Amino acid sequence: MNRTLLGFIKKELTQALRDPRMKFIIFVTPIVQMTIFGVALSTEVKNIRLAAAFSAGDTVLRDVYENAINSGWFVPARAEGELAEHPFEMIRADKADAVLVPPPGGFTRALGRGDASLQLLVDATNATQAQAVDGYLKAIVARTVRADTGLAPPPPPIRFDVRVLFNPSLDTSIFLVPGVMTMLMVLTTMVLTNIAIVREKEMGTLEMLISAPVSKSEVIFGKTIPYVIIGMTNLPLILSVAVFLFRVPMRGSLAVMVLATFVFVCTTVSMGTLISTFCENQQQASMGGFLFMFPAIMFSGLIFPIQNMPASVRWLSFIDPLSHYLSLLRSIMLRGGDPRTLAWHMGVLLVLGLACGAVSFRRFHTTLS
Amino acid sequence: MSGAPVSISVRGVRKTFGKKAFTALHGVSLEFEAARMHGIIGPEGSGKTTLLRVLLGLLTPAEGTVAYFQGGAPVDFETLRPQIAYMPQTQSLYADLSIDEHLEFFRDLYGIPPADYAARRAELLEVTRLAEFSGRPAGKLSGGMYKKLGLMCALLRSPRVLILDEPTTGVDPISRRELWDLLYRLLDQKILILTTTAYLDEAERCSKVHLIERGVVVASGEPRRLLEAEGARSFDELFLRRASAQDA
Repeated sequence: MNRTLLGFIKKELTQALRDPRMKFIIFVTPIVQMTIFGVALSTEVKNIRLAAAFSAGDTVLRDVYENAINSGWFVPARAEGELAEHPFEMIRADKADAVLVPPPGGFTRALGRGDASLQLLVDATNATQAQAVDGYLKAIVARTVRADTGLAPPPPPIRFDVRVLFNPSLDTSIFLVPGVMTMLMVLTTMVLTNIAIVREKEMGTLEMLISAPVSKSEVIFGKTIPYVIIGMTNLPLILSVAVFLFRVPMRGSLAVMVLATFVFVCTTVSMGTLISTFCENQQQASMGGFLFMFPAIMFSGLIFPIQNMPASVRWLSFIDPLSHYLSLLRSIMLRGGDPRTLAWHMGVLLVLGLACGAVSFRRFHTTLS
Repeated sequence: MSGAPVSISVRGVRKTFGKKAFTALHGVSLEFEAARMHGIIGPEGSGKTTLLRVLLGLLTPAEGTVAYFQGGAPVDFETLRPQIAYMPQTQSLYADLSIDEHLEFFRDLYGIPPADYAARRAELLEVTRLAEFSGRPAGKLSGGMYKKLGLMCALLRSPRVLILDEPTTGVDPISRRELWDLLYRLLDQKILILTTTAYLDEAERCSKVHLIERGVVVASGEPRRLLEAEGARSFDELFLRRASAQDA
C-alpha cells in the first residue's frame, strides 16, 4: 500500500482513538447498548393485567384465571370496590388490560348447559397486545375446559401440524438481536465516517490536504479505510454478546459472517462519505446522519415486517443496506446461511456501496470553488 | 529543472463568487519574481486570500491566467505543485495531534524519505525552538507556536514556493520577529515567498509590496520606492490616507 495512504490511516486512527470518551463510544457503548436492547426489545407481550369476574362456585373460570396467571403472560389486575363490579369501567380506568366476563350464573354452569359463551374484553389501544391476549386466552381456555370437564372444544375444519423451524421456542430475542447488531454496526461506521470528513472541512484542515500533492482517491480512502477497520473491530464485541449472553445460535461459518460484515461496513462507510459531501459542518453532519438512520431502521424489517409494507414503498427497503445486512445476519446465524441468499444480499450491498462511492467521488471536491 | 527558482505571472485574473456575482478580484495582474519575498497588503475583504487560493489552484478564475516559470521556462502547475507549500490563514492543524504527529503525517503525505525527514525535523525544530514541545497537542500550543508548527508542516518538503496567508496574525511581537527571521533564512535558499499581512510594519520587510483594494492592485513595487512615490513616510500613513480618500 502506498505510504501516503498508510500515513493517513495512521493519523486518522490516532485521532479517533486518542480521546478516551471516543474510545468509550466506539468500543464500550455497542456492548452496553447491545445488552440493554437485547433485554428490553421484545415483541412478546407480557405482564398483561387480567381480571375475571367469577363467583365462588365458578370453578372452571377460576382455573382459567389461575392458569392464565401461571402462564407468565398475565398478572392479576388490581381493582377494588365498585370498580371491580364493572368490567368495562376497569378497562376504561386503566386498571386492567383484559377482563373475562362469564355468562349470567357463571361459566361452569353454562358449560354444563352446553352453552359455552365467555366474554373477553380487551383494551385494543395497543393492537399488537390485544391480538396476543386473544391468542393466549383462547388457548388457555380450551386447555382448562378440557382438563376440568373433559369437553373438547369444537374441532376446527382443518388441523395444522405446525413445526417451528430454526427457533423452536419462538424466542423473540433470537429474532431481534440481529436487528440490534445491525443498528449498532451502522451507527459506528456511518456516523463516524461522516463526522470525520465534515470535521476536516469545518476546521479548515481540508484546505491544507487538498493543497498538498495528494490525489483525491488518497484523501477519500485515507479518510474511510480507518472507519472500515474500526467497524470490523466491533463485530467480535457485539457478536460475543449475541452468542454468549442472548444465546443466539451461530449456525453459519464465522468466515462468511466476517465477509458479510465487511461488505456491509464498506457500504455504510461509503454512504457516510456520500452524506458528508452534502454537509458543511458537524451539526449538519449529525442531522444528515439522523435523517438517514430513521428511515433506514424503519425500512430494515427490524421493527415492521417488510412483507407488510405496500409495494409502492417496499423498494425503499430494497435500497436500505440495513435490510440486507439484517437478512444476512438472520440467515447466517439462525439458518446456517444459504449460499444463494447470501450471494444475493451481499451483491445488492456491493452495488449500493459502489454506487454511493462513485457519487461521493464525483462530489468530493479538490478545489474550494 | 526541478529545484530551480520559480516565478509566477498573473494576468488579468477576475474571480466572482455566488449567484449575486460578488467580484473578489477585478482583473488582477502581478509579477512575482523568483527568490524574493512578496508582501500582499490591503484592507480586510480586499481579495488577498482569494488571490492566494487562485495561485494554488484551489479556486478557478473566471477570467485571466496564472503562468508559472521555473528557471525562466514555463512550467505546468501540476508539475510544480509538489514544490509549492501553503499555510492557510484559518487554523488548519489537528488540535488533537502533537507536533511530532503532525510532522509524521505530513512526512507520509509528501512521501519524504526517512533519512531526509530525520534531518529536516531536527533542523526545523531547532530553528523554530519547538523541540521541547514536540509531544504537545496543537490545540494546546500558544498562538505563535501554532503558527510556527503550521510553517514547519509547510516547510517539511523543502518547497521552492512558500505561500503564507497572514502568518503572523494573533502572534506576539517576539514570536513575530522570530517568524520573520525564519522567513529571511529561507530567502537565502532562493525560495519565492508570498505572504499576506495585516501588520503594515511587516510590509516594509518585504522585497516587494503589492497593495490590493477591493480586488484591484493599486500599487506595486519595492516598499521604499512605493512610499516615496506616494509621498508617505510609512505604510500606516499611506493606508490611512487612502482609507480617508475612499470615504470621502
